[in-house]
Amino acid sequence: MIEIIGVTKSFSTDCSEVRAVDDVHFTVNRGEFVLILGRSGSGKSTLLGMLSGLTRPTAGTILLNGMDISELSDDAISELRAKEIGFVFQLSGLILTINALENVMLPTLFCPDYPGSDSRAADLLTKVGMSERACAYPSTLSSGEMKRVAIARALVNAPSLLIADEPTGDLDEATEQEIMELFRQLNREGTTIMMVTHNSDLIRYATHTYRMTQGNLIKSDGALSPRLTLEPRTNVNDKVSS
Amino acid sequence: MKMNIITLLTASIRNKPGRNLATIFCFAFIAANIFFLQLLFSGTVLNVDQGISRMGADHIIVGAQYTAHLRIGENPPENTMALVKVEPSSARIKADVMGVVGKIPGVSNVSPQLYVSTLDLPAVSPEPVDLFGIDPATDFTIQPWLQTPPDHPFGPGEVLVGSELSGKVGSQIDIQGHLYTIAGRLDPTKSSVDYTVFLNMDDAYAIASAKGIVPPSAPQISPGDVNAVLVRIAQGADSGMVKSRIQQPFSYSYVKVIQRHFSLDPASQEIKGLPGLLGVISTFVVVAAFPLIALIAAMVAHERQREIGLLRSMGAKRKAIFLLVMSESLVLATIGSIIGVCVSLVAFLLLNTMGLLQTTFQVSFRTPALYEIVATSCPALIVVIAIGSISSLWPAYWSSRMNPYDAIRGEGK
Ligand SMILES: Nc1ncnc2c1ncn2[C@@H]1O[C@H](COP(=O)(O)OP(=O)(O)OP(=O)(O)O)[C@@H](O)[C@H]1O
Ligand SMILES: [Mg+2]
Repeated sequence: MIEIIGVTKSFSTDCSEVRAVDDVHFTVNRGEFVLILGRSGSGKSTLLGMLSGLTRPTAGTILLNGMDISELSDDAISELRAKEIGFVFQLSGLILTINALENVMLPTLFCPDYPGSDSRAADLLTKVGMSERACAYPSTLSSGEMKRVAIARALVNAPSLLIADEPTGDLDEATEQEIMELFRQLNREGTTIMMVTHNSDLIRYATHTYRMTQGNLIKSDGALSPRLTLEPRTNVNDKVSS
Repeated sequence: MKMNIITLLTASIRNKPGRNLATIFCFAFIAANIFFLQLLFSGTVLNVDQGISRMGADHIIVGAQYTAHLRIGENPPENTMALVKVEPSSARIKADVMGVVGKIPGVSNVSPQLYVSTLDLPAVSPEPVDLFGIDPATDFTIQPWLQTPPDHPFGPGEVLVGSELSGKVGSQIDIQGHLYTIAGRLDPTKSSVDYTVFLNMDDAYAIASAKGIVPPSAPQISPGDVNAVLVRIAQGADSGMVKSRIQQPFSYSYVKVIQRHFSLDPASQEIKGLPGLLGVISTFVVVAAFPLIALIAAMVAHERQREIGLLRSMGAKRKAIFLLVMSESLVLATIGSIIGVCVSLVAFLLLNTMGLLQTTFQVSFRTPALYEIVATSCPALIVVIAIGSISSLWPAYWSSRMNPYDAIRGEGK
């Protein structure tokens, strides 16, 4: 589904040049649950930004469903984002002027053939445990609550790829578990998930784990939990249509 | 409940009431200015020619003994903007002065005025009322002040009455047993004209000879006597020069010529130049307010870059962002221009009913009809909406082109 070939992203600041992502190669197949661990500043968020076409790599190629996204028009990438990609940002990405439910419904605006029913947004809020705060404005929510609303929003258009940048960063353990179970369920239903986390306990949910250090992505094998390696991954792939 | 672009738009407008009110105020200010100037000078509710014609005479020829008896609080005629009427006096001259003066080069109109008497007519006015005779055919100073254009020439047995006198057009007025029909009412002049009944010259001679009208102490009026000959000079003629030409054939002990303190020519140019002035003032207002509005629009776009980046991450296309930013500005411009037009209209109507516009501009305005208001407000609405869209073009373009990822991280360039 995603193929990353020699992708580099560097930023030139006043004093130095930062290579946030340095010649990364990797592939994510449909139905995988990929977890990326890594220290702060290692380039994880930058990598996710490039995957969704929000920012362009300095060098290298990103293939999404076999298409080079650098060759797609801006409109085509936007459409792809609207229909196929759900994004949970590291910092709460809610629009402050509208309430939680409206935030969750917002992406349907840009998805002309929105698949869900009218109640889907409310259902998703229930799933993330936020149904009671549906009418609350983001400024009145705690950061964990905002994160959960943001997760619901990322899922409203039923994306085939969920990109989540530390989605459980602000959550207590119990809520984190609930969210991870939700992700696992989605993954089993066919959603490909790429998630960044600092919590190495979560690798048990993943089908693949990577570590990022100073812009380099390294496949992490030893850390994979034995339970997960035993999971029948083929079943997951079977469910994926097209 | 459905999510739509209107929800997003109203939410973001509601969200910053202070800033949006400031923007609306700017738009309203521009619209109010343009609309007010349009009402004043576009000719919709004002007749510029009427304004000029109401300026009265350039010179008044009076008897050498003439001194103006002024009502308290009045300006002497030499200082009023409009020389409309001679003041009551017993200094008279002969009407044949007209024939001589009418032939003088640079004179375009001459018309006589006769002061008959000042009477107490409690049924008409608490103040004493002046009786005057004018010649409707040559008169150029009184009839321009008529409230409504007459439907027939002002004829025998009819009178024109000043604004302070009671009596409707078409009704009878009783002047010590002599009955006349009110043919027209005059607009307020803030001068003795407001307390005057104007008769036809022949009626004036007739009533003057009746008993008890002219006090026995005053010299009797015989046909051919007039108190003044009002003179309008030809366009471009030199007022001072014409004055000396008028005086020349007559002895100083017989007549004197009172000249208005400014000539009509520059005044008329002033009034005719007003539509041009309108353009200058409107342009100035627009030029002054435009950068302010553009600055606010740019600030708004900058402030909202994170939000716009988020919308882009959810799949909003560049066009959608562009339209979103533009429509927000358009909504504010529309609200502002409508408020501006309404405020301006209320101010105009208030000032007009209070008579302030008339004293300031020396012209009168009608109350505009609804279709005139709509038509007159069009330029203001169009200009303000144009400013709204032009000033947000760049912010809208910038918002739609910025890198969404940098924008979300708050580093949009
Ligand atoms: N727009 C930018 N301009 C300059 N430097 C940047 C920019 N974006 C990211 N960087 C730098 O790139 C590096 C990687 O940033 P990134 O946000 O991807 O890290 P991260 O792995 O997500 O860290 P964290 O776990 O703290 O979120 C950092 O050193 C950061 O300072
Ligand atoms: Mg990060």
